[in-house]
Amino acid sequence: MGRSLFDKVWDAHVIEELPGGNALVFIDLVVAHEITTPPGAIAIEKEFDDILYDPKRIVAMIDHVAPAKDSATALQAHTVRTWAKRQGIRFHDIGDNGICHVIVPERGYVTPGMTVCCGDSHTCTLGAFGAFALGIGTTAQAGAMLAGCLILQRPKVMKVEVTGELQEGATAKDLALTVIATIGFRGGTGYVLEYTGSAIRALTMEQRMTLCNMAIEAGATTGIIAPDATTEAYLAATPEAPNHWVAQRADDDAEYAATVTIDASAIRPVVSWGTNPGECSPIDGAIPFDAPAESLEYMALAPGQAMRSIAIDQAFIGSCTNSRIGDLRAAAAVLRGQRVSVPTIITPGSQAVRRQAEGEGLHDIFQDAGALWTHSSCGPCLGMSMGVLAPGTRCVSSSNRNFPGRMGDGGRVHLAAPAVVAASAILGRIASPSEIEQREAVIA
Amino acid sequence: MIVEGSVLAIPRANIDTDQIIPARYLTRIDAAGMGVHLFEGMPDGERLLAQHPGASIVVTGENFGCGSSREHAAWALLDRGFKAVIAPSFARIFHENAYTNALVPVIVPQTIVDGLMSARHIAIDVDGETLRADGGEPIPFGLDALRKHFILGGGFLNYLNAKIPAVRAWEAAR
Repeated sequence: MGRSLFDKVWDAHVIEELPGGNALVFIDLVVAHEITTPPGAIAIEKEFDDILYDPKRIVAMIDHVAPAKDSATALQAHTVRTWAKRQGIRFHDIGDNGICHVIVPERGYVTPGMTVCCGDSHTCTLGAFGAFALGIGTTAQAGAMLAGCLILQRPKVMKVEVTGELQEGATAKDLALTVIATIGFRGGTGYVLEYTGSAIRALTMEQRMTLCNMAIEAGATTGIIAPDATTEAYLAATPEAPNHWVAQRADDDAEYAATVTIDASAIRPVVSWGTNPGECSPIDGAIPFDAPAESLEYMALAPGQAMRSIAIDQAFIGSCTNSRIGDLRAAAAVLRGQRVSVPTIITPGSQAVRRQAEGEGLHDIFQDAGALWTHSSCGPCLGMSMGVLAPGTRCVSSSNRNFPGRMGDGGRVHLAAPAVVAASAILGRIASPSEIEQREAVIA
Repeated sequence: MIVEGSVLAIPRANIDTDQIIPARYLTRIDAAGMGVHLFEGMPDGERLLAQHPGASIVVTGENFGCGSSREHAAWALLDRGFKAVIAPSFARIFHENAYTNALVPVIVPQTIVDGLMSARHIAIDVDGETLRADGGEPIPFGLDALRKHFILGGGFLNYLNAKIPAVRAWEAAR
């Protein structure tokens, strides 16, 4: 029986089978950050003599709140900083930091065929490199740091074949939201999503990361994409460029527990209207008449309402979904020579992305448009530090979650691609980039 | 081991971790004191908790604990006195976090959950993998054969710590 790509990565890391369909799985890399890692690191220090399985298999950084916003978050950062130094762990402090799911790939820390875990659900982003990368809790992460392994139930594999090619205006974010809407917000539970097909091959590594980033939003354990020449070229340009990795792909006769086929050419830009990422509609469409009343009540929207009629109070471009250079270029292409009409926050995913953007003059475009250009961090995405929403206000965001209260108590979030967020920021309502092109450019 | 108590019913699917404990409270370096913020991210969370003082078992809909990996969700429930969550399904990471923290995750079909929503008292027999609502007939459910060990007092980190020689041997032979 042919094996999927995921099967091959899994099989190469099983140390032993355990009762109940579990396995002890070797972990090649643990990613640590200041929010979820400290309790586990302290537990190992107190209960296991501060001895880690292999500090070289860990990389740590400050990302969620960078720099600290108060004494408590300062203590979190200080704890990770001193722990990393004491243990000789690679560490990215503020100034050299970024979102872990941006830093790890751009430095070349993740390579095809690896197993990676982190106390952060969006670790699935790294599946774009053909790695088995998954989010876990603090205690499990501590276990991986202590013993170099995790106890995992072997997930089933769902083949998500994306045929054709994305058309002008449609992005990897629209593809990610379409996948969730297709298989359902919890349709990926118990599965790894193995993305294949011509449309996947055509994606850049950044776009593949955007797609895999949202696998968790369908409930999936992770996403995974077979490495190819695109992967190789990306890795070769990273500071820690690996000198050896093995490209694997699924066997031609691989068997999957489920298969879904999506025609990329039919995908149009979509925006979420509800309270989970599966609740979205084409930007030129309307809120469905069968939309759950509960979602609409929280979002203060009505069935049949045109998506482009929804007024917004804030815009955000950033997060581990859409904060890479390609995302910023897409936003800048819309914002060039324009003015935003609502508070707009643009947060690069890493300091390297920030420097690259500034080298290209994107920061001038953003600031000339009246947007706030910030240093790198997770930013307003999770309502933890800057850019928190006031109750009842509405933000269009390039991030990944629109749960109630996600960006602040009573705040309402609409998920969209960066260019759509930029257009919406200009017009003060959910808007398509094509609407901006039709306007006469305002001289900055 | 019997886990029992009165019920907090939340008859909705997809209660995510942002609703269970908002990110603004993830600012500690330990697991203590999260309970005061439990369900603060849920629009009617405080009202529900006030209506069911002393409840120790959550009965809820599908996909409980979806979203963030924050183990704080399990810590907040435990700190507030909850000992078990009964649902038709859990999100993967929350499910694993429940086991490692000995918060009993009980999966039963939606039809059973619907019936339990109006229960006043539920007793869960962890060893026997059955539950009784208001003294009624036992309802069977399944626990993960390995992770049940962590609920019954076997420490998760101690279990993995004992595996280190096997892991090192495997890696050396890799």
